Amino acid sequence: MSQLKINGLTKKYYNKTALSDVTLNFEQGKIYGLLGPNGSGKTTLMKVVAGLHKQTSGNVLINDEELSYKTKAYISYMPTENYMYASFKVVDILKFFKDMYEDFRYDYAVALLNDINVNIDYKVSNLSSGQIGKLKTAIALSRDAEIYMLDEPLNGVDVLSRDTIMDIITKSYSENKIIIISTHLVSEIEKILDTVIFLKDGVVELFGDAEELRQTRGLSVEGLYKEVFKNA
Amino acid sequence: MLNLIKYEFIRKYKLIAVTIITAIALNIFLITRGVGGSATFLVLFPIVLFVLYLTDIIKMYSDDLNNKTGYMLFMTPNSGYKIISSKLLTAVLEGFALLFLYFIFTLINGAYIVVSTGAQIDYSQIIRVVDNLLSGSLGFSLSHIFISLTATLAFFLAFITTVYTAMTIRKSIFSEIKFGGLLSFIIFLCINWGISVISSRLFDIITPYYDSITNAILSAGRATPEELALILLPMTAFSIIQAIALTGISGYLLEKKINL
Repeated sequence: MSQLKINGLTKKYYNKTALSDVTLNFEQGKIYGLLGPNGSGKTTLMKVVAGLHKQTSGNVLINDEELSYKTKAYISYMPTENYMYASFKVVDILKFFKDMYEDFRYDYAVALLNDINVNIDYKVSNLSSGQIGKLKTAIALSRDAEIYMLDEPLNGVDVLSRDTIMDIITKSYSENKIIIISTHLVSEIEKILDTVIFLKDGVVELFGDAEELRQTRGLSVEGLYKEVFKNA
Repeated sequence: MLNLIKYEFIRKYKLIAVTIITAIALNIFLITRGVGGSATFLVLFPIVLFVLYLTDIIKMYSDDLNNKTGYMLFMTPNSGYKIISSKLLTAVLEGFALLFLYFIFTLINGAYIVVSTGAQIDYSQIIRVVDNLLSGSLGFSLSHIFISLTATLAFFLAFITTVYTAMTIRKSIFSEIKFGGLLSFIIFLCINWGISVISSRLFDIITPYYDSITNAILSAGRATPEELALILLPMTAFSIIQAIALTGISGYLLEKKINL
Protein backbone atom coordinates (compact mmCIF):
# COMPACT_ATOMS: atom_id res chain seq x y z
CA MET A 1 0.00 0.00 0.00
CA SER A 2 1.51 3.32 -1.07
CA GLN A 3 1.66 5.91 1.65
CA LEU A 4 3.50 9.17 2.12
CA LYS A 5 3.46 10.94 5.48
CA ILE A 6 5.13 14.25 6.13
CA ASN A 7 5.38 15.27 9.79
CA GLY A 8 6.40 18.73 10.96
CA LEU A 9 8.73 19.25 8.04
CA THR A 10 10.86 22.37 8.21
CA LYS A 11 13.51 23.36 5.72
CA LYS A 12 15.61 26.42 6.39
CA TYR A 13 18.15 27.93 4.09
CA TYR A 14 20.81 30.37 5.20
CA ASN A 15 18.48 33.32 5.72
CA LYS A 16 15.13 31.96 4.62
CA THR A 17 12.59 29.38 5.80
CA ALA A 18 11.38 27.53 2.73
CA LEU A 19 9.09 25.12 4.59
CA SER A 20 7.69 25.62 8.05
CA ASP A 21 6.24 22.75 10.07
CA VAL A 22 4.49 21.12 7.11
CA THR A 23 2.38 18.08 7.98
CA LEU A 24 0.62 16.19 5.20
CA ASN A 25 -0.68 12.70 4.54
CA PHE A 26 -0.92 11.37 1.00
CA GLU A 27 -3.03 8.33 0.23
CA GLN A 28 -2.91 6.05 -2.76
CA GLY A 29 -5.43 6.36 -5.61
CA LYS A 30 -5.42 10.14 -5.59
CA ILE A 31 -3.96 12.93 -7.69
CA TYR A 32 -2.74 15.78 -5.51
CA GLY A 33 -2.21 19.33 -6.67
CA LEU A 34 0.55 21.13 -4.82
CA LEU A 35 -0.35 24.69 -5.63
CA GLY A 36 1.27 27.98 -4.89
CA PRO A 37 3.12 30.85 -6.50
CA ASN A 38 6.86 30.79 -7.19
CA GLY A 39 8.84 30.60 -3.99
CA SER A 40 6.05 29.06 -1.93
CA GLY A 41 8.05 25.91 -1.15
CA LYS A 42 6.59 23.41 -3.65
CA THR A 43 9.89 22.45 -5.22
CA THR A 44 11.68 22.32 -1.87
CA LEU A 45 9.02 19.96 -0.51
CA MET A 46 9.39 17.65 -3.50
CA LYS A 47 13.18 17.72 -3.39
CA VAL A 48 13.18 16.78 0.29
CA VAL A 49 10.85 13.84 -0.39
CA ALA A 50 12.98 12.83 -3.40
CA GLY A 51 16.09 12.83 -1.20
CA LEU A 52 17.85 15.66 -3.04
CA HIS A 53 17.58 18.08 -0.14
CA LYS A 54 17.88 17.35 3.56
CA GLN A 55 15.23 18.73 5.88
CA THR A 56 16.20 20.91 8.83
CA SER A 57 13.68 19.15 11.09
CA GLY A 58 10.65 16.90 10.91
CA ASN A 59 10.42 13.62 9.11
CA VAL A 60 9.07 11.97 5.99
CA LEU A 61 7.81 8.40 5.97
CA ILE A 62 7.26 6.48 2.77
CA ASN A 63 5.43 3.23 3.39
CA ASP A 64 6.45 3.68 7.04
CA GLU A 65 10.15 3.89 6.12
CA GLU A 66 12.27 6.93 6.92
CA LEU A 67 13.77 8.66 3.90
CA SER A 68 16.92 6.95 2.66
CA TYR A 69 18.42 5.85 -0.62
CA LYS A 70 16.11 2.85 -0.44
CA THR A 71 12.96 4.99 -0.49
CA LYS A 72 14.16 6.55 -3.75
CA ALA A 73 13.10 3.28 -5.38
CA TYR A 74 9.46 4.07 -4.49
CA ILE A 75 9.47 7.59 -5.90
CA SER A 76 9.51 8.74 -9.48
CA TYR A 77 10.37 12.40 -9.33
CA MET A 78 10.35 14.77 -12.26
CA PRO A 79 12.31 17.93 -11.42
CA THR A 80 11.24 21.14 -13.06
CA GLU A 81 14.74 21.71 -14.47
CA ASN A 82 16.23 19.91 -17.43
CA TYR A 83 18.38 17.46 -15.48
CA MET A 84 19.27 15.03 -18.23
CA TYR A 85 22.77 14.56 -19.61
CA ALA A 86 22.89 16.86 -22.64
CA SER A 87 25.42 14.71 -24.49
CA PHE A 88 23.20 11.62 -24.30
CA LYS A 89 20.72 10.57 -26.95
CA VAL A 90 17.18 10.02 -25.67
CA VAL A 91 17.67 6.28 -26.13
CA ASP A 92 20.75 6.42 -23.86
CA ILE A 93 18.68 8.18 -21.20
CA LEU A 94 16.14 5.36 -21.42
CA LYS A 95 18.93 2.77 -21.06
CA PHE A 96 20.26 4.66 -18.03
CA PHE A 97 16.84 4.52 -16.35
CA LYS A 98 16.44 0.85 -17.26
CA ASP A 99 19.80 0.05 -15.67
CA MET A 100 19.17 2.13 -12.55
CA TYR A 101 15.52 1.41 -11.73
CA GLU A 102 14.07 -2.08 -11.54
CA ASP A 103 10.59 -0.73 -12.22
CA PHE A 104 11.46 1.18 -15.40
CA ARG A 105 9.36 -0.01 -18.36
CA TYR A 106 11.67 0.48 -21.32
CA ASP A 107 9.27 -0.64 -24.04
CA TYR A 108 6.47 1.42 -22.54
CA ALA A 109 8.73 4.49 -22.58
CA VAL A 110 9.72 3.92 -26.22
CA ALA A 111 6.05 3.57 -27.23
CA LEU A 112 5.07 6.62 -25.18
CA LEU A 113 7.80 8.79 -26.68
CA ASN A 114 6.82 7.61 -30.12
CA ASP A 115 3.19 8.59 -29.43
CA ILE A 116 4.18 12.08 -28.34
CA ASN A 117 6.63 12.58 -31.21
CA VAL A 118 9.89 12.59 -29.32
CA ASN A 119 12.55 10.95 -31.46
CA ILE A 120 14.64 8.63 -29.29
CA ASP A 121 17.63 8.97 -31.62
CA TYR A 122 17.90 12.71 -30.98
CA LYS A 123 20.44 14.09 -28.57
CA VAL A 124 18.97 15.74 -25.47
CA SER A 125 20.85 18.95 -26.32
CA ASN A 126 18.98 19.12 -29.64
CA LEU A 127 15.48 18.93 -28.14
CA SER A 128 13.25 21.97 -27.74
CA SER A 129 11.97 22.96 -24.30
CA GLY A 130 8.57 21.48 -25.16
CA GLN A 131 10.16 18.18 -26.13
CA ILE A 132 12.28 18.20 -22.99
CA GLY A 133 9.09 18.68 -20.98
CA LYS A 134 7.44 15.75 -22.72
CA LEU A 135 10.55 13.60 -22.35
CA LYS A 136 10.87 14.31 -18.61
CA THR A 137 7.22 13.50 -18.01
CA ALA A 138 7.30 10.35 -20.14
CA ILE A 139 10.41 9.08 -18.38
CA ALA A 140 9.02 9.77 -14.90
CA LEU A 141 5.75 8.05 -15.73
CA SER A 142 7.44 5.09 -17.42
CA ARG A 143 8.53 3.87 -14.04
CA ASP A 144 6.06 1.61 -12.28
CA ALA A 145 6.65 3.57 -9.09
CA GLU A 146 4.34 3.93 -6.10
CA ILE A 147 4.63 7.69 -5.89
CA TYR A 148 4.95 10.10 -8.78
CA MET A 149 6.01 13.66 -8.10
CA LEU A 150 5.89 16.00 -11.05
CA ASP A 151 7.29 19.46 -10.48
CA GLU A 152 5.75 22.02 -12.83
CA PRO A 153 5.19 19.55 -15.68
CA LEU A 154 3.61 22.26 -17.84
CA ASN A 155 6.33 24.86 -17.42
CA GLY A 156 7.78 26.07 -20.71
CA VAL A 157 5.54 23.74 -22.67
CA ASP A 158 3.35 25.00 -25.52
CA VAL A 159 -0.45 24.69 -25.37
CA LEU A 160 -0.68 21.63 -27.63
CA SER A 161 2.04 19.77 -25.77
CA ARG A 162 0.32 20.59 -22.48
CA ASP A 163 -2.67 18.52 -23.53
CA THR A 164 -0.37 15.64 -24.41
CA ILE A 165 1.33 15.83 -21.03
CA MET A 166 -2.03 15.93 -19.24
CA ASP A 167 -3.06 12.83 -21.18
CA ILE A 168 0.07 10.95 -20.14
CA ILE A 169 -0.49 11.86 -16.52
CA THR A 170 -4.12 10.75 -16.45
CA LYS A 171 -3.21 7.49 -18.21
CA SER A 172 -0.73 6.78 -15.43
CA TYR A 173 -3.35 7.04 -12.72
CA SER A 174 -4.16 3.85 -10.86
CA GLU A 175 -5.76 2.94 -7.53
CA ASN A 176 -2.47 1.97 -5.90
CA LYS A 177 -0.44 5.03 -6.81
CA ILE A 178 -0.02 8.53 -5.48
CA ILE A 179 0.43 11.32 -8.00
CA ILE A 180 1.56 14.74 -6.79
CA ILE A 181 1.70 17.58 -9.27
CA SER A 182 3.09 20.96 -8.38
CA THR A 183 2.09 23.92 -10.50
CA HIS A 184 1.07 27.52 -10.54
CA LEU A 185 -0.86 26.97 -13.80
CA VAL A 186 -3.95 25.92 -11.88
CA SER A 187 -6.61 26.25 -14.59
CA GLU A 188 -4.78 23.80 -16.84
CA ILE A 189 -4.53 21.08 -14.26
CA GLU A 190 -7.60 21.63 -12.09
CA LYS A 191 -9.77 19.08 -13.86
CA ILE A 192 -7.59 16.09 -12.96
CA LEU A 193 -6.98 16.93 -9.30
CA ASP A 194 -8.64 15.00 -6.48
CA THR A 195 -7.03 16.89 -3.61
CA VAL A 196 -5.45 20.30 -3.47
CA ILE A 197 -2.74 21.64 -1.18
CA PHE A 198 -2.13 25.38 -1.15
CA LEU A 199 1.35 26.30 -0.01
CA LYS A 200 2.08 29.89 0.92
CA ASP A 201 5.48 30.99 2.17
CA GLY A 202 6.31 27.44 3.17
CA VAL A 203 3.13 26.92 5.18
CA VAL A 204 0.12 24.80 4.27
CA GLU A 205 -2.60 27.38 3.78
CA LEU A 206 -5.34 25.05 2.62
CA PHE A 207 -5.68 21.28 2.20
CA GLY A 208 -8.76 19.48 1.03
CA ASP A 209 -10.79 17.52 -1.46
CA ALA A 210 -11.04 19.55 -4.67
CA GLU A 211 -14.72 18.80 -5.27
CA GLU A 212 -15.67 19.46 -1.67
CA LEU A 213 -13.85 22.80 -1.72
CA ARG A 214 -15.61 23.82 -4.93
CA GLN A 215 -18.99 23.08 -3.35
CA THR A 216 -18.41 24.58 0.08
CA ARG A 217 -16.60 27.70 -1.15
CA GLY A 218 -18.59 28.12 -4.35
CA LEU A 219 -15.39 28.69 -6.30
CA SER A 220 -13.29 26.74 -8.76
CA VAL A 221 -9.84 25.69 -7.57
CA GLU A 222 -8.42 28.46 -9.71
CA GLY A 223 -10.81 30.94 -8.06
CA LEU A 224 -9.75 29.70 -4.65
CA TYR A 225 -6.13 29.99 -5.67
CA LYS A 226 -6.62 33.61 -6.67
CA GLU A 227 -8.37 34.31 -3.39
CA VAL A 228 -5.73 32.68 -1.21
CA PHE A 229 -2.77 34.13 -3.04
CA LYS A 230 -4.12 37.53 -4.03
CA ASN A 231 -1.60 39.31 -1.83
CA ALA A 232 1.24 36.90 -2.40
CA MET B 1 28.20 -0.23 -8.72
CA LEU B 2 29.20 -1.56 -12.17
CA ASN B 3 26.31 0.33 -13.74
CA LEU B 4 27.43 3.57 -12.09
CA ILE B 5 31.00 3.09 -13.37
CA LYS B 6 29.69 2.14 -16.82
CA TYR B 7 27.75 5.40 -17.13
CA GLU B 8 30.68 7.45 -15.82
CA PHE B 9 32.71 6.14 -18.74
CA ILE B 10 29.87 6.57 -21.23
CA ARG B 11 29.67 10.21 -20.15
CA LYS B 12 33.36 10.81 -20.74
CA TYR B 13 34.20 8.50 -23.66
CA LYS B 14 34.12 11.37 -26.15
CA LEU B 15 36.58 13.38 -24.08
CA ILE B 16 38.90 10.39 -23.80
CA ALA B 17 38.59 9.72 -27.55
CA VAL B 18 39.42 13.35 -28.37
CA THR B 19 42.44 13.19 -26.02
CA ILE B 20 43.76 10.02 -27.68
CA ILE B 21 43.23 11.36 -31.21
CA THR B 22 44.91 14.67 -30.32
CA ALA B 23 47.81 12.82 -28.70
CA ILE B 24 48.28 10.63 -31.78
CA ALA B 25 48.13 13.65 -34.10
CA LEU B 26 50.59 15.58 -31.93
CA ASN B 27 52.93 12.61 -31.74
CA ILE B 28 52.90 12.16 -35.51
CA PHE B 29 53.57 15.88 -35.95
CA LEU B 30 56.49 15.83 -33.47
CA ILE B 31 57.92 12.61 -34.89
CA THR B 32 58.19 14.32 -38.29
CA ARG B 33 60.52 16.80 -36.54
CA GLY B 34 62.92 13.97 -35.75
CA VAL B 35 64.20 12.27 -32.61
CA GLY B 36 64.08 15.51 -30.61
CA GLY B 37 60.38 15.91 -31.34
CA SER B 38 59.68 12.36 -30.31
CA ALA B 39 61.59 12.80 -27.06
CA THR B 40 59.81 16.11 -26.41
CA PHE B 41 56.50 14.32 -26.74
CA LEU B 42 57.56 11.65 -24.24
CA VAL B 43 58.53 14.33 -21.73
CA LEU B 44 55.64 16.77 -22.17
CA PHE B 45 52.77 14.38 -22.85
CA PRO B 46 52.63 12.81 -19.35
CA ILE B 47 52.61 16.29 -17.75
CA VAL B 48 49.74 17.51 -19.95
CA LEU B 49 47.94 14.20 -19.56
CA PHE B 50 48.25 14.32 -15.77
CA VAL B 51 46.85 17.87 -15.60
CA LEU B 52 43.94 16.89 -17.89
CA TYR B 53 43.34 13.75 -15.86
CA LEU B 54 43.25 15.60 -12.54
CA THR B 55 40.90 18.22 -13.98
CA ASP B 56 38.63 15.52 -15.37
CA ILE B 57 38.31 13.44 -12.21
CA ILE B 58 37.63 16.52 -10.09
CA LYS B 59 35.07 17.77 -12.62
CA MET B 60 33.46 14.33 -12.73
CA TYR B 61 32.36 14.71 -9.10
CA SER B 62 32.00 18.47 -9.00
CA ASP B 63 29.56 18.50 -11.96
CA ASP B 64 27.28 16.01 -10.25
CA LEU B 65 27.25 18.00 -7.03
CA ASN B 66 26.82 21.44 -8.58
CA ASN B 67 24.80 20.94 -11.77
CA LYS B 68 21.21 19.86 -12.20
CA THR B 69 22.41 16.83 -14.17
CA GLY B 70 23.54 15.50 -10.79
CA TYR B 71 19.88 14.66 -10.14
CA MET B 72 20.23 11.84 -12.66
CA LEU B 73 22.71 10.19 -10.32
CA PHE B 74 21.41 11.22 -6.92
CA MET B 75 17.78 10.30 -7.60
CA THR B 76 18.78 6.67 -8.21
CA PRO B 77 18.36 4.23 -5.31
CA ASN B 78 22.12 3.96 -4.77
CA SER B 79 23.66 4.70 -1.38
CA GLY B 80 26.05 7.60 -0.92
CA TYR B 81 28.82 5.09 -0.17
CA LYS B 82 28.21 3.34 -3.48
CA ILE B 83 28.17 6.61 -5.40
CA ILE B 84 31.44 7.91 -3.95
CA SER B 85 33.12 4.51 -4.32
CA SER B 86 32.08 4.31 -7.97
CA LYS B 87 33.60 7.76 -8.57
CA LEU B 88 36.86 6.65 -6.97
CA LEU B 89 37.00 3.40 -8.92
CA THR B 90 36.26 5.28 -12.14
CA ALA B 91 39.12 7.67 -11.36
CA VAL B 92 41.51 4.78 -10.69
CA LEU B 93 40.48 2.86 -13.83
CA GLU B 94 40.79 6.00 -15.93
CA GLY B 95 44.25 6.58 -14.44
CA PHE B 96 45.37 3.07 -15.35
CA ALA B 97 43.97 3.47 -18.88
CA LEU B 98 45.93 6.71 -19.37
CA LEU B 99 49.05 5.14 -17.89
CA PHE B 100 48.69 2.29 -20.38
CA LEU B 101 48.24 4.84 -23.17
CA TYR B 102 51.49 6.52 -22.18
CA PHE B 103 53.21 3.13 -22.02
CA ILE B 104 52.13 2.43 -25.62
CA PHE B 105 53.45 5.82 -26.75
CA THR B 106 56.72 5.14 -24.91
CA LEU B 107 57.11 1.82 -26.73
CA ILE B 108 56.35 3.37 -30.13
CA ASN B 109 58.53 6.45 -29.64
CA GLY B 110 61.29 4.42 -27.96
CA ALA B 111 61.41 2.09 -30.95
CA TYR B 112 61.39 5.09 -33.29
CA ILE B 113 64.26 6.77 -31.45
CA VAL B 114 66.32 3.54 -31.49
CA VAL B 115 65.70 3.03 -35.22
CA SER B 116 66.39 6.73 -35.97
CA THR B 117 69.82 6.57 -34.36
CA GLY B 118 70.74 3.83 -36.84
CA ALA B 119 70.65 1.02 -34.31
CA GLN B 120 68.60 -2.08 -34.82
CA ILE B 121 66.00 -3.27 -32.38
CA ASP B 122 67.58 -6.32 -30.85
CA TYR B 123 64.84 -8.51 -29.43
CA SER B 124 67.30 -10.61 -27.46
CA GLN B 125 68.36 -7.40 -25.70
CA ILE B 126 64.73 -6.72 -24.76
CA ILE B 127 64.49 -10.23 -23.32
CA ARG B 128 67.72 -9.60 -21.43
CA VAL B 129 66.30 -6.39 -19.93
CA VAL B 130 63.21 -8.28 -18.82
CA ASP B 131 65.44 -11.01 -17.36
CA ASN B 132 67.46 -8.39 -15.51
CA LEU B 133 64.28 -6.83 -14.19
CA LEU B 134 63.10 -10.19 -12.92
CA SER B 135 66.45 -11.03 -11.34
CA GLY B 136 66.96 -7.53 -9.92
CA SER B 137 70.46 -7.16 -11.34
CA LEU B 138 69.63 -3.63 -12.58
CA GLY B 139 69.43 -2.45 -9.00
CA PHE B 140 65.65 -2.67 -9.06
CA SER B 141 63.21 -5.37 -10.06
CA LEU B 142 59.53 -5.87 -10.87
CA SER B 143 58.93 -6.19 -7.14
CA HIS B 144 60.32 -2.67 -6.64
CA ILE B 145 58.03 -1.37 -9.40
CA PHE B 146 55.02 -3.19 -7.99
CA ILE B 147 55.66 -1.91 -4.45
CA SER B 148 56.18 1.65 -5.73
CA LEU B 149 53.02 1.50 -7.85
CA THR B 150 50.99 0.20 -4.90
CA ALA B 151 52.27 3.04 -2.72
CA THR B 152 51.58 5.60 -5.47
CA LEU B 153 48.05 4.26 -5.87
CA ALA B 154 47.48 4.54 -2.11
CA PHE B 155 48.81 8.14 -2.04
CA PHE B 156 46.70 9.03 -5.05
CA LEU B 157 43.56 7.52 -3.48
CA ALA B 158 44.23 9.47 -0.30
CA PHE B 159 44.62 12.66 -2.31
CA ILE B 160 41.51 12.26 -4.44
CA THR B 161 39.33 11.20 -1.49
CA THR B 162 40.50 14.36 0.29
CA VAL B 163 39.43 16.46 -2.71
CA TYR B 164 36.08 14.64 -2.96
CA THR B 165 35.46 14.95 0.79
CA ALA B 166 36.14 18.70 0.66
CA MET B 167 33.54 19.06 -2.13
CA THR B 168 31.05 16.87 -0.26
CA ILE B 169 31.42 18.85 2.97
CA ARG B 170 30.90 22.08 1.09
CA LYS B 171 27.75 20.70 -0.61
CA SER B 172 26.28 19.31 2.60
CA ILE B 173 27.33 21.07 5.81
CA PHE B 174 28.11 24.40 4.07
CA SER B 175 25.66 24.13 1.18
CA GLU B 176 24.17 27.57 1.80
CA ILE B 177 27.42 29.48 1.71
CA LYS B 178 28.44 31.15 -1.54
CA PHE B 179 31.83 30.96 -3.32
CA GLY B 180 31.63 27.15 -3.41
CA GLY B 181 34.87 26.55 -5.33
CA LEU B 182 36.93 28.69 -2.97
CA LEU B 183 35.23 27.17 0.06
CA SER B 184 35.94 23.64 -1.21
CA PHE B 185 39.60 24.59 -1.56
CA ILE B 186 39.73 26.01 1.97
CA ILE B 187 38.09 22.84 3.32
CA PHE B 188 40.61 20.79 1.33
CA LEU B 189 43.47 22.72 2.97
CA CYS B 190 41.90 22.26 6.42
CA ILE B 191 41.52 18.50 5.94
CA ASN B 192 45.12 18.27 4.77
CA TRP B 193 46.29 20.29 7.75
CA GLY B 194 44.39 17.95 10.10
CA ILE B 195 45.82 14.90 8.39
CA SER B 196 49.36 16.27 8.48
CA VAL B 197 49.02 16.89 12.23
CA ILE B 198 47.87 13.31 12.82
CA SER B 199 50.46 11.80 10.48
CA SER B 200 53.38 13.79 11.92
CA ARG B 201 52.50 12.57 15.42
CA LEU B 202 52.28 9.00 14.18
CA PHE B 203 55.53 9.21 12.28
CA ASP B 204 57.26 10.74 15.30
CA ILE B 205 56.47 7.50 17.13
CA ILE B 206 57.97 5.29 14.43
CA THR B 207 60.96 7.48 13.52
CA PRO B 208 63.56 5.42 15.46
CA TYR B 209 62.45 2.29 13.67
CA TYR B 210 62.52 4.16 10.37
CA ASP B 211 66.04 5.50 10.95
CA SER B 212 67.55 2.05 11.39
CA ILE B 213 66.17 0.88 8.03
CA THR B 214 67.19 4.09 6.25
CA ASN B 215 70.73 3.84 7.62
CA ALA B 216 70.99 0.22 6.47
CA ILE B 217 69.88 1.20 2.96
CA LEU B 218 72.23 4.19 2.82
CA SER B 219 75.21 2.08 3.82
CA ALA B 220 74.30 -0.65 1.30
CA GLY B 221 73.60 1.91 -1.46
CA ARG B 222 70.43 0.10 -2.54
CA ALA B 223 67.18 -1.19 -1.09
CA THR B 224 65.89 -4.71 -1.42
CA PRO B 225 62.17 -5.06 -2.27
CA GLU B 226 61.55 -6.02 1.35
CA GLU B 227 63.32 -2.90 2.61
CA LEU B 228 61.48 -0.70 0.12
CA ALA B 229 58.19 -2.25 1.24
CA LEU B 230 59.12 -1.63 4.88
CA ILE B 231 59.97 2.00 4.17
CA LEU B 232 56.77 2.64 2.26
CA LEU B 233 54.54 0.53 4.50
CA PRO B 234 53.68 3.15 7.17
CA MET B 235 52.87 5.89 4.63
CA THR B 236 50.99 3.48 2.37
CA ALA B 237 48.99 2.08 5.29
CA PHE B 238 48.26 5.58 6.53
CA SER B 239 47.10 6.64 3.05
CA ILE B 240 44.83 3.61 2.75
CA ILE B 241 43.30 4.27 6.18
CA GLN B 242 42.90 7.95 5.24
CA ALA B 243 41.18 7.02 1.95
CA ILE B 244 38.82 4.58 3.68
CA ALA B 245 37.94 7.06 6.44
CA LEU B 246 37.32 9.94 4.03
CA THR B 247 35.27 7.73 1.70
CA GLY B 248 33.17 6.78 4.72
CA ILE B 249 32.69 10.43 5.70
CA SER B 250 31.76 11.41 2.12
CA GLY B 251 29.36 8.48 1.81
CA TYR B 252 27.71 9.40 5.12
CA LEU B 253 27.32 13.07 4.13
CA LEU B 254 25.92 12.15 0.71
CA GLU B 255 23.48 9.86 2.47
CA LYS B 256 22.39 12.11 5.32
CA LYS B 257 23.17 15.76 4.68
CA ILE B 258 23.30 16.49 0.99
CA ASN B 259 21.63 19.58 -0.49
CA LEU B 260 21.86 19.53 -4.25
